[in-house]
Amino acid sequence: MPDTTEIQDRETKRNLTPYLLIAPVVIYYIIFWLFPVINAVGGSFLSTSLDKGGIFTLANYKAVFKDPIFWQAVINTTIIVIISVTLEFFLAFGLALLINVKFRGSSFFLFLAIIPMSLPAVAVGAMWNSGLATYGWLNSFLIRIGLIDPSNKILFLAGTHFSRMILIILVDAWQVIPFMMIILLSGMQGLQPEMAEAGRVFGGNRWQVLRKITVPMLKQTIITAMILRIIAAIQIWLIIVMIFGFNRLPVLMEQIVLNIDQYMAEEFFRKGMALSVIVAVLVSGVSFIYLKASGAFDDPGSREGDE
Amino acid sequence: MTSENNKERSMPVLTLTNLAKRYNRKVWGVRKMDLEVEDKEFVVFLGPSGCGKTTCMRMIAGLEVTTRGSIILHGKDITDLPPRNRDISMVFQNYAIWPHMTVYENIAFALKLQKKSRSEIDRTVKEVAAMVKIDQLLSRIPGQMSGGQQQRVALARALAVKPKLFLMDEPLSNLDAKLRVVMRTELKAIHQRTGATSIFVTHDQSEAMSMADRIVIMKDGEIVQVGTPDDVYFRSADMFVAGFIGTPPTNFFPVEMKTAGEKVELSHPRFAILISGSDADRLKNNGQNSLILGVRPEEIKVVPEKDSLLSVEVMVVEPQGSFQIVAVEIEGEIVKIVVGSAGKIQPGERLHLSFVEERLHFFNAETTKRI
Ligand SMILES: Nc1ncnc2c1ncn2[C@@H]1O[C@H](COP(=O)(O)OP(=O)(O)OP(=O)(O)O)[C@@H](O)[C@H]1O
Ligand SMILES: [Mg+2]
Repeated sequence: MPDTTEIQDRETKRNLTPYLLIAPVVIYYIIFWLFPVINAVGGSFLSTSLDKGGIFTLANYKAVFKDPIFWQAVINTTIIVIISVTLEFFLAFGLALLINVKFRGSSFFLFLAIIPMSLPAVAVGAMWNSGLATYGWLNSFLIRIGLIDPSNKILFLAGTHFSRMILIILVDAWQVIPFMMIILLSGMQGLQPEMAEAGRVFGGNRWQVLRKITVPMLKQTIITAMILRIIAAIQIWLIIVMIFGFNRLPVLMEQIVLNIDQYMAEEFFRKGMALSVIVAVLVSGVSFIYLKASGAFDDPGSREGDE
Repeated sequence: MTSENNKERSMPVLTLTNLAKRYNRKVWGVRKMDLEVEDKEFVVFLGPSGCGKTTCMRMIAGLEVTTRGSIILHGKDITDLPPRNRDISMVFQNYAIWPHMTVYENIAFALKLQKKSRSEIDRTVKEVAAMVKIDQLLSRIPGQMSGGQQQRVALARALAVKPKLFLMDEPLSNLDAKLRVVMRTELKAIHQRTGATSIFVTHDQSEAMSMADRIVIMKDGEIVQVGTPDDVYFRSADMFVAGFIGTPPTNFFPVEMKTAGEKVELSHPRFAILISGSDADRLKNNGQNSLILGVRPEEIKVVPEKDSLLSVEVMVVEPQGSFQIVAVEIEGEIVKIVVGSAGKIQPGERLHLSFVEERLHFFNAETTKRI
């Protein structure tokens, strides 16, 4: 049957095309991503580099897990991720809704809101560091407007562990809310206005329309925004170091940098490698669980049986 | 259909008074709308693109804040009520079916919000789904459906709430020509069955003519004429309506009027025509000597030479199956004539024409209004 073979030939050809198209990307990843990863994963299981006679060991991992600061870092990171991502999501969503209404001056407001996003983390850290210092601009400002007394300057940077955490969450929110807001806003602008209007005509008040129509239709956008934010929040460190310094509010990424970059000893370097492998596994694990739970892997046609 | 007995005129279901909408303090969407819609009536808004049909519809639905005027529905002023409190349902031009819900959930949405019982919701959904023939599709997702099917879902969703007023904004405009005609008939059948007072927007005049109890013809944000399909066709209020309604539309000839005893004579460079009876009286009373004569394409007849008013050469023939449209040139203007399909007419052929005298239209040359 020549017909069938020809059809099969064509179908095979067609099936190969996408793979050929992504081949360059795969090669790029192998060179610039996979090798370093293998290197790091391998290195984390070695006592010293292979040419110096390194042997397989779990000592690096043991060192990590025995370190109380590591556990402190895990807890801190978890708290920051949960609180800051939740807070940022709701604030960003609210702002996006507001700007989407297109009130007078909304585009200027959008421009203002984007400023924090355009600053690099180092600059943000430096800015808040000088701002939050005892003689920094925030205290001067509060004194100037008469909110606090010159003799009662707030010691932002000296506070308890808890207040440091709050401060970091706020500073982080200040910087990344615009990012989330823009993703959500672009999603909202992609919705046909008639979708929500139909909701209002068919008996919904604003809240019901938001909950039953706008949010479900924005699902893909929300998943994207959340996953990007969760990954970034797990990796928060620079801003903390810029404001407080190392080991004042330990988080996972900060510990990696500290061990690999700051201590200048192979023992710490290898511990840092083990730590980065742990963080990498954690990030992928959390992303996977989140994507799974939010239904991003579902067949677009099928749907979870709700109601 | 509305009954013609004026004695039993019930209270109007919908009254628009001096309704206007200006966008951004600049663009007038609707300048002035005064309209009464009777119970069970099927009213069609017809007009060229940008004349304000959608704007008016959206004001009635509560999706657009009014700039001026009032909207009364069943004796209640709803001008400033939110859409959900208006007892109105709507079919949107792009359907606006929610893609994340099944067909069933789309139709049941409003009923659930009204806290209807599960069995009642189920009954209503199945009833309207059967009415628009989508009972097989209830568990499907709109994304997997054809345009025609989505259109039916939008219709079912709007029917399910049993509204006091049913708004449809060009619901058929995204369908192919054949399906439009089918849906036209079905919509009319549904209307006859449910008796729901309806406003239907279209810029397709054959759709308007075939569906409407009354047609509201709009231009530049204002109503030009309200009337039955016969009214707007045979008694067009002005040259705009006469030139808009009908395929092809009315032909216009500038003429000079001269009184000739009881009668009046209308003279055009190519022909002169004597008018008698009430038409003549009206023209005399009007007083103006320059006016516009309007003749519908099917009221120009091909006749033997001895009976003819004028003779012309055929430019183009457009066969339409049961009839043919013949285009001729008279004094530099294209004039279209509808002729039966018996006897093929060829370009270049000479035709002898006359007008059906009882069916002539006269318009004021300055105001364009009907005389
Ligand atoms: N949101 C808006 N902002 C500003 N001007 C608008 C808006 N919507 C409509 N208009 C203007 O109002 C006028 C009437 O528009 P509308 O949409 O009501 O026309 P329409 O009769 O529905 O036309 P179509 O047949 O093309 O749908 C147009 O001049 C249009 O440009
Ligand atoms: Mg419109």
